[in-house]
Amino acid sequence: MTAYLQASGVEVSFGGLKALNDCSFTIQQGRITCLVGPNGAGKTTIFNVITGFLRPGAGSVSFKGQTLDGWKPQAIVAAGIARTFQNLRLFVDLTAVDNVLASLPAQAGEEPVSAIFRPFHVWSAQRRRREEALAILDRVGLSARSGDFVRNLSYGEQKLLIIARVLATGAELLLLDEPASGLSAGALEGVMTLLRRLQDDGKTLLVVEHNTRVVQKIADDVLFLHQGHLMAQGSPETIVNDPALAEIYFGGAL
Amino acid sequence: MDFWLSYLTLASIYVLLGLSTNLLVGIAGIFSVSQAAVFGVGAYIVAFFLMNDVMSFLPALAIAAVCCVALNIVLTLPALRVAGDYFVVTSFGIQLLATAVFTNWTGGTGGANGLPGIPPADLFGKALEDTSSETILCVGGMVLGCLVFWLVMRAPFGRLLRAIREDELAVAASGKSVLRAKVSAAALAGAFAGSAGGLYATFLSFIDPSSFDLDSSILLLTMVVVGGARTLAGSIIGPFLLLALPQILTLVEIPTTIAAAARQLIYGVLLIVFMLFRPQGLAGEKL
Amino acid sequence: MLALQLLCNGIVTGCALGIVAISFSFVYSTTKIFHVAHAGVYTLGGYVAWSLLAHGFPAPVAFLVAVAACTALGALIQTGLYARLERRRATHLVVLIASLGVLAVIQNIVAAVYTANILQFDLPWGAKVFTVVGNVRLTVTQLLTVVCSLAAYAAVMWFSHGTILGKQIRAVASNPFLAEITRLRPRRVHVYVMAIASALVCVPGVLVPLDFGLQPYNGITPLLTATIAMIAGGVGSITGAFVLAIVIAELQNMSLLFIPGEWSIGITFFIFVIFMLFRPTGLFAAAR
Repeated sequence: MTAYLQASGVEVSFGGLKALNDCSFTIQQGRITCLVGPNGAGKTTIFNVITGFLRPGAGSVSFKGQTLDGWKPQAIVAAGIARTFQNLRLFVDLTAVDNVLASLPAQAGEEPVSAIFRPFHVWSAQRRRREEALAILDRVGLSARSGDFVRNLSYGEQKLLIIARVLATGAELLLLDEPASGLSAGALEGVMTLLRRLQDDGKTLLVVEHNTRVVQKIADDVLFLHQGHLMAQGSPETIVNDPALAEIYFGGAL
Repeated sequence: MDFWLSYLTLASIYVLLGLSTNLLVGIAGIFSVSQAAVFGVGAYIVAFFLMNDVMSFLPALAIAAVCCVALNIVLTLPALRVAGDYFVVTSFGIQLLATAVFTNWTGGTGGANGLPGIPPADLFGKALEDTSSETILCVGGMVLGCLVFWLVMRAPFGRLLRAIREDELAVAASGKSVLRAKVSAAALAGAFAGSAGGLYATFLSFIDPSSFDLDSSILLLTMVVVGGARTLAGSIIGPFLLLALPQILTLVEIPTTIAAAARQLIYGVLLIVFMLFRPQGLAGEKL
Repeated sequence: MLALQLLCNGIVTGCALGIVAISFSFVYSTTKIFHVAHAGVYTLGGYVAWSLLAHGFPAPVAFLVAVAACTALGALIQTGLYARLERRRATHLVVLIASLGVLAVIQNIVAAVYTANILQFDLPWGAKVFTVVGNVRLTVTQLLTVVCSLAAYAAVMWFSHGTILGKQIRAVASNPFLAEITRLRPRRVHVYVMAIASALVCVPGVLVPLDFGLQPYNGITPLLTATIAMIAGGVGSITGAFVLAIVIAELQNMSLLFIPGEWSIGITFFIFVIFMLFRPTGLFAAAR
């Protein structure tokens, strides 16, 4: 059986610094996999490689049996992989619903010709899309704030919005970069519930997370990355309770 | 009365140019000093067709617009694929190259002496020979242009462009092609500039390279900066205000020898002052 | 032989252009600002020197005052405009437009004061001709241009690699963020950079018009060519910019054998497009 997502021998160097060193792992479909490791382990870098923002020096990534080498980011999203950013990168001067609308694929009116010559078609199509966007916002629990500008949303609401935005792309494999960081306990619970709900909806999640409690609560599998290389892989209990890994994570080897 | 009609006509033409520049610079964020070159291409094409009796005004205008669309696509596509500042160099180069072509290709453009005697525009067989009908044509063109701009910005394309201004990376991560959006905006800008050129040529019945040089591109930038970036209102206010400037200057007695330099000097000062103290212009959004 | 003459003329023009390229590259690689107004500083230098000569000052004094004027102008642009815009976190586009505004202001003040017509320098000793290798004729001005440009190039190389300030500048250029939090004071470095670059560009700013005359709007074409040389040579490489400037000047000059002079800008532009399509990072891209 072909692995759902497979990274094989991925190498990335920035100048003299090796960010990813023979990085190899597989992700199973329908599971929530957490990617953990100390800072600088290469977690965001591997995200960039998978989503086509960074070309690896060596190695490859394949999704559902198809290799993604040299694919443009748009093609990878269309194939079913989308990511969020640790620093949000929301469209601040747009409303929440517009942020989601901006991520819905293949809309009429996204280029000038149809916008000019078929305005009525575009407007009616937009009405339907708007309903789709509102449904997505509802899924993440933000329907009450759909018309608000992003700069007026709380941090917790913004973190929900980035999930809504990545859902809008229609991708089946979601790469979430620290979706729960910086949240209060209540918001944290909300996010964890949401992630499990997404799994029930059929999504596969690869989540970078620093909070061991979150990892233990939601992860089906855990990948421990260190110095750009997969150091260990297993269930949350085995990884979190491993003393050697804990030492690396909390400031041992460097 | 004729004076006001002329002012209105010219302002209408420059509103089309303002929309063009706003699309390119304000909305797509592409620094361009070559808008006047594209304006010139449109003007010379229409002039050529009309002077040689090849076709009537509307088809000529359409062809000019299409050529300018293609021109803008060809110019922005390679540059945008690389990096931001490369397009700055490209833009200057295009403008200087265009001026060189306009001035030296005597066969096609009449060279430095320009093309006199361009026939007036004609609509459905009837030539528009008096100022008021020309005014109506140009104002009509302006209204049409504004409508197109409004439709485009209201559509998902407008939202996409606004998102690109904020965060290109996030847009790419959402699966949209930033390049395609920017090039489309540039293409539309070309259509506006080319049409403005055609209207300009038939209204003035004489064109020469000095209307389409770097100084003119700077004027177009100033219009967008002063009027306001990215908005319809800004694209209208800027040209009307800046075209009134030469008239205001005639009230102050500036010797004609330095009149042109004085105008350009004021444009430069306006650019600096607005960038320092009011980057959103009078009625726009922050650049 | 005409070709040989053109070749030598190309070296002369190329050397002058090389200094424009180096000085521009200096600013661009450190501050990341596409300092279009540099063309205005270049223009001003020539006019200041001309004014002083016209009022009877000796040539060295005229030159030095011109350099001082350019240096002051460069520092003023940095502190009065660029630094302010940076504090307001202005976007790249805003700074570009502001720089363009400065260029327009400088050029048009010059045009208003000195008229837009071409002004010639009145330096009889500059026009004296030497006959070099095989019928190639070079004026004193041209020889002076080559010598001064090469000297300026050497000076910049020495400064950049041999002095503390030079190294500081390179440090700021390679990592502005790190520079900010160490003792390097990037903003002050930027003023030095602008001052030095402006002083440098005054050299060709005075020497080139000795040959071709002064014109207020003539700064943008050499600047454009120089930026192309900078990009082709690799941003951050002083030698790359200088060498490519000579190469481009040669190509422009040799093309005169085949096409009329007014199209030479087409050659420059054509070269640039080729580079952009095939090697955007240039030939000597500085190791990052």
